[in-house]
Amino acid sequence: MLRHATKRILGFGLAETRSTAPAVTRIPRRFYHERVVDHYNNPRNVGAFDKNDPTVGTGLVGAPACGDVMKLQIKVDEETGKITDACFKTFGCGSAIASSSVATEWVKGKQMEEVLTIKNTEIAKHLSLPPVKLHCSMLAEDAIKAAVKDYEAKRGKSLETKAAEA
Amino acid sequence: MWRKQLRTPLSTFIRKTLPQSISPQLLEENITQLQNQPNSSNPCSFNTNAQTRVSRNPRIHLICNSEFLGKSSGFCSSGSPEETRSCWSCKSQGAFLICQSCGSVQPVDHSVDYFTIFGLERKFDIEVGSLEGKYKDWQKKLHPDLVHTKSEEEREYAAEQSARVIDAYTTLRKPLLRAIYIMRLEGVEVDEEQTVSEPELLGEIMEIREAVEEAMDSKSLNQIQSQMEEKLRHWYDLFANAFTSKEYDDALKAIQRMTYYHRVKEEIVKKL
Repeated sequence: MLRHATKRILGFGLAETRSTAPAVTRIPRRFYHERVVDHYNNPRNVGAFDKNDPTVGTGLVGAPACGDVMKLQIKVDEETGKITDACFKTFGCGSAIASSSVATEWVKGKQMEEVLTIKNTEIAKHLSLPPVKLHCSMLAEDAIKAAVKDYEAKRGKSLETKAAEA
Repeated sequence: MWRKQLRTPLSTFIRKTLPQSISPQLLEENITQLQNQPNSSNPCSFNTNAQTRVSRNPRIHLICNSEFLGKSSGFCSSGSPEETRSCWSCKSQGAFLICQSCGSVQPVDHSVDYFTIFGLERKFDIEVGSLEGKYKDWQKKLHPDLVHTKSEEEREYAAEQSARVIDAYTTLRKPLLRAIYIMRLEGVEVDEEQTVSEPELLGEIMEIREAVEEAMDSKSLNQIQSQMEEKLRHWYDLFANAFTSKEYDDALKAIQRMTYYHRVKEEIVKKL
């Protein structure tokens, strides 16, 4: 059902990539948008965590000019500050979906400070995004930062309450 | 149909501000064109525009003012005056899109904005019903199919003018496009690259989009659609108010909301 949901979400994107990607097969040659198509065929990390879980940080960003919304969630190990899991849900074009999918893959297993250094240009390069779609990768970078910020804010609040109770 | 009674205050004002080099006949035509707008109730804005425009264009044959205004997009930001052009074919004055005397189609002047083409005031709440009639009237005069027998130059002009009128019609007809256009005329562009992080707005949109995804029947989809239409109406009004009171930040926010709700509507239509 999740795959069906993602296919519907990503349905938007395939129309765009179909015209540019000459082949949807898995030949590992440098086709334009090959990775974007790959992320469409094999969606990874689509889903949602419990927003109220204290170990979860939720980043919700949007690009009003094209009407995109992107939600990226991270699950952080409190002790080590390492991101153990990530998931996303994006409503928008194929490039936006692929960008957020790549973002969730890249943040897994990294430290929070480390993921803040992920740049939109790296994501765009990885997906060979055309200039007109660069703002999609920007959105993904902002989503990562927003998720980290949200987690830290939550953690800060919970530490405060713990200190107050003690 | 196009000639109207000159209003004395407007004509006197223009006479005073225009440089002496412009011939009186040119003046008359200019004023008449300015008076063309059937709905014009705002002579002040026309005055300033005429001043800015014509004072820099003493030459009759100057066509495009976008360089003067420094706008690369080619849109005239300072208003919608009729330019004073002489027809390239019969050299008579007062050619607006098509020459009144000889009927030749004129080349496109990008500084004439869409509202002027339809003879409307530059505001958001326009009479959408009247657009279609005027659009068809223009196409009857400008359409390339009507100029088969004429020169290649004129056929090119007809193609461009006709295309421009079509652009104007489609832009003015849709409220969201009209809103974005009218903001652009004021010099406020909707930033493509901007990302926002407003939890309430985005959370709301997320929920709505998820509901659309999960909706199983057309009844619930239509329900969501009518909800969207209601919200859109509400935000159209907000935009109109913000725009007239020149609260451009609020106007931009309204446009953002409208874009989001429109996207939801598009998704629903796709699903239905």
